[in-house]
Amino acid sequence: MPKRAVNRERPTLPSRSGPKPTPKNDLEEARARLHVSAVPNCLPCREKEFSDIFGFVESKILDGTGGCMYISGVPGTGKTATVKEVLKILEAERDDGNLQDFKFVEVNGMKLTEPRQAYVEILKALTGKEATADHAANILNKMFTVPAPRSSPVVLLVDELDLLWTRKQDVMYNIFDWPTKEMARLIVLAVANTMDLPERMMIKRVASRLGLTRMTFQPYTFRQLEEIVASRLKGLQVFDSDAVQLAARKVAAVSGDARRALDICRRSTEIAESRTEDAGGEAVVSMSDINAAVEEMFCSPKILAIRNLAVQEQLFLKAVVAEFQRSGIEEADFCKLYDQHQTLCRFEGIHVPTMTELSAICYRLGSMRLLLTEPGSRDLSMRIRLNVSQDDIMYALRADIPS
Amino acid sequence: MAETSEVDEDSSLNSKVLCRQQQIKTLLSLFGQRQAMTTGSLFIYGHTGTGKSLVLQSVLNHNKLPYIFLNSIECSSPRFLFEHILNNLPVQGSYQISQDLNNLLNIENGDDDDDYIQCDNLTDFIRLLVSFISESPLKNQTLYLVLDKAERLRESSASLLPVLLRLQELSGLNVCTIFVSEIVWEKFRSGTGFYEPYCLHFPDYSRQELMEIMCLDAPASCEKDLYSLYINIVLSVFHMVCRDLRELRHIARLNYQYFIEPIEKNEVKPSDTKKLWRNIEPHLKKALTSVYLREVSSRQWELLQQAELADPDSDFSKAIVPSRSYVELPYYSKFLLIAAYIASYNPMKYDRRFFAKFSAKVSKRAKHVKKSERTSNHLLGPKVFPIDRMMAIFYSIVEGKVVPSAYINVQISSLVSLHLLHQIGGEDKIAAPKYKCLVTLDFIRSVARTVHFDVMRYLYDFL
Repeated sequence: MPKRAVNRERPTLPSRSGPKPTPKNDLEEARARLHVSAVPNCLPCREKEFSDIFGFVESKILDGTGGCMYISGVPGTGKTATVKEVLKILEAERDDGNLQDFKFVEVNGMKLTEPRQAYVEILKALTGKEATADHAANILNKMFTVPAPRSSPVVLLVDELDLLWTRKQDVMYNIFDWPTKEMARLIVLAVANTMDLPERMMIKRVASRLGLTRMTFQPYTFRQLEEIVASRLKGLQVFDSDAVQLAARKVAAVSGDARRALDICRRSTEIAESRTEDAGGEAVVSMSDINAAVEEMFCSPKILAIRNLAVQEQLFLKAVVAEFQRSGIEEADFCKLYDQHQTLCRFEGIHVPTMTELSAICYRLGSMRLLLTEPGSRDLSMRIRLNVSQDDIMYALRADIPS
Repeated sequence: MAETSEVDEDSSLNSKVLCRQQQIKTLLSLFGQRQAMTTGSLFIYGHTGTGKSLVLQSVLNHNKLPYIFLNSIECSSPRFLFEHILNNLPVQGSYQISQDLNNLLNIENGDDDDDYIQCDNLTDFIRLLVSFISESPLKNQTLYLVLDKAERLRESSASLLPVLLRLQELSGLNVCTIFVSEIVWEKFRSGTGFYEPYCLHFPDYSRQELMEIMCLDAPASCEKDLYSLYINIVLSVFHMVCRDLRELRHIARLNYQYFIEPIEKNEVKPSDTKKLWRNIEPHLKKALTSVYLREVSSRQWELLQQAELADPDSDFSKAIVPSRSYVELPYYSKFLLIAAYIASYNPMKYDRRFFAKFSAKVSKRAKHVKKSERTSNHLLGPKVFPIDRMMAIFYSIVEGKVVPSAYINVQISSLVSLHLLHQIGGEDKIAAPKYKCLVTLDFIRSVARTVHFDVMRYLYDFL
């Protein structure tokens, strides 16, 4: 029996009293800075939007009135970061005494279990009290409508506004109605993805209360993305200048999402590190690393999946394509496909599977989402459609490409 | 040692369950030793009466394996399934004793609801199952969950079947889920990603096997050879139409009295096969028409048999067989039903010819051509008709003047509730409802006869 070492050191939690571990090399430093969560102090390329929002909120606070602003833009264009930045600066000014006191409340539609929970969240942030949704709505209504010598205006940030949609739209209505009240002094900043959300989803009286103060965050162009990455990497010489440009151009062409650009750059630092690990020496992220990262993130795995299927499964996909081309309809019954498959098998001179085997094959392809299938209880009359394009299948199964 | 004992067990099992050696062998080799892990899920399929449940239960009972048997029809919601499994865990040893004591105490107190485990979702089910089994002696052996009529499980929640299939993996216990069904595994697949079970097929019994099994039922008073002769005769008549062991046994039991009667009366010698055959055959031919139909209950059949044996000339059978095709209806209801039948089976364009007072004469040649090319409406089934057409036919066939009162409408709706008519649409008051007639030709003829109306003259198919 192995004897246990008596004075073996027991593992303990690492002490946090010292400074945080510093990154070992430039690549690690770069990776830490490129992380999406590391929001920089200054937001490059959003100066105009920043000043617009800042001016709007500041003027409303100074005037002692209320108002709404609707901010839209595709994901990853810096909407929330810019608004938070505005509020940070305003709070700093308030603490310095340059600006009158105000309260900042934040509600995120995605974090609520139910739209009406927004009332509970707002009440909790304003007064610290807990109440049911109905009761909270009543208290808030009283708070914003009954004239009372209240000291401070409230800035309310509503993120993911589209999730507060209800059938009666009462939550949206209330949130946009309170600022119009004389005594409310409520400033609402509503953030959502679609530009035409007020016209598409809201009934007229809600859209009208939302007003016309709107702002759209355009997707980043490749120059802006380049600038964002460059600003994060200031003082570090780990990226080829062309490499950053390639990543920026690739992302800008697809979505203009800053998060995606940062992710690609992070991934390429990892690739570069593993590449230079054996060689030693200084690692610099080159074009090829970026290219590899882009391939990894953007390319579809379907062709690879088709190439790695079993012989009979590939043949079944061929049978599906053949049947579609024969009938000219992009949908076929399982029994028709069985006939096609049989013909193809005979043609290739391989074993013809039974109906049971073929239905197992079909189901496997269906659960991989290469095919769209119906429940197996419809057996022979099961309708089957392709979830990839016919060209993709023919390309993947071409004989001259080594798998 | 284990090997020899297993062989003994096999032979004694095989003497109890006939003609299923191969399946028993497969099951035993799949189950293996008590502690050994078995396949995660097992799917057993075959026709009705092929001994799926019998083999499974006798294998499990014979080897005293811990198992839970569950009929999926009883589990209208997954909750019943979970609670049935959790409350019927076959616990053994010390744990069982304490459990029994608890039960006793509870029964004395007059309520055992405290002990009933409640569980309504999959996560709780697996958590409770793991906690119960890991603290009982059951953790050292395989637990079998047998789900009979497993095709019903497809209809309950979509995640139930996939979870039951990989219960072994999810719970980390030595559990084997056995599904018993009459349909093939392909029909169970749906959605994405199933753990494929091991499929085991129970083939139908051949005629020899059926004979071997049915000869087990021989009454004590009857010789083996004589009874096997009887079974042979029964199978020669019934094997064409019915291979269901259960039904065949039922038929054999019912008709045995006819067969044995002449021997008991010493009219025929047991060796005289030909005479016995001639004696029993008409009775079997008569029983052939009522296979699977329990028109006459077994008890009635026996009474009938005794009466007939005592007095062969009397016609008892007609007295007992209930005439299903006779319903007493009000006078106007009868005409409404006839009108509905005519509207269902006649093409609309011939209404004018049948019911208008001054109809155009159809030339004989046109009539001839039409008749040869048309298909019978009675083969295609009833057609849907609007209520107006039915009322028009009704007013033209009924004698005397009928006031279109609420009384007539009530009769229509009561015909619908009697399932003589079928209503399509018409839930909203404005859209006129459409109907279909659901009765047979024989029925409508007998109804028409009671009101002295010749319905055949108005049916297009019979002109």
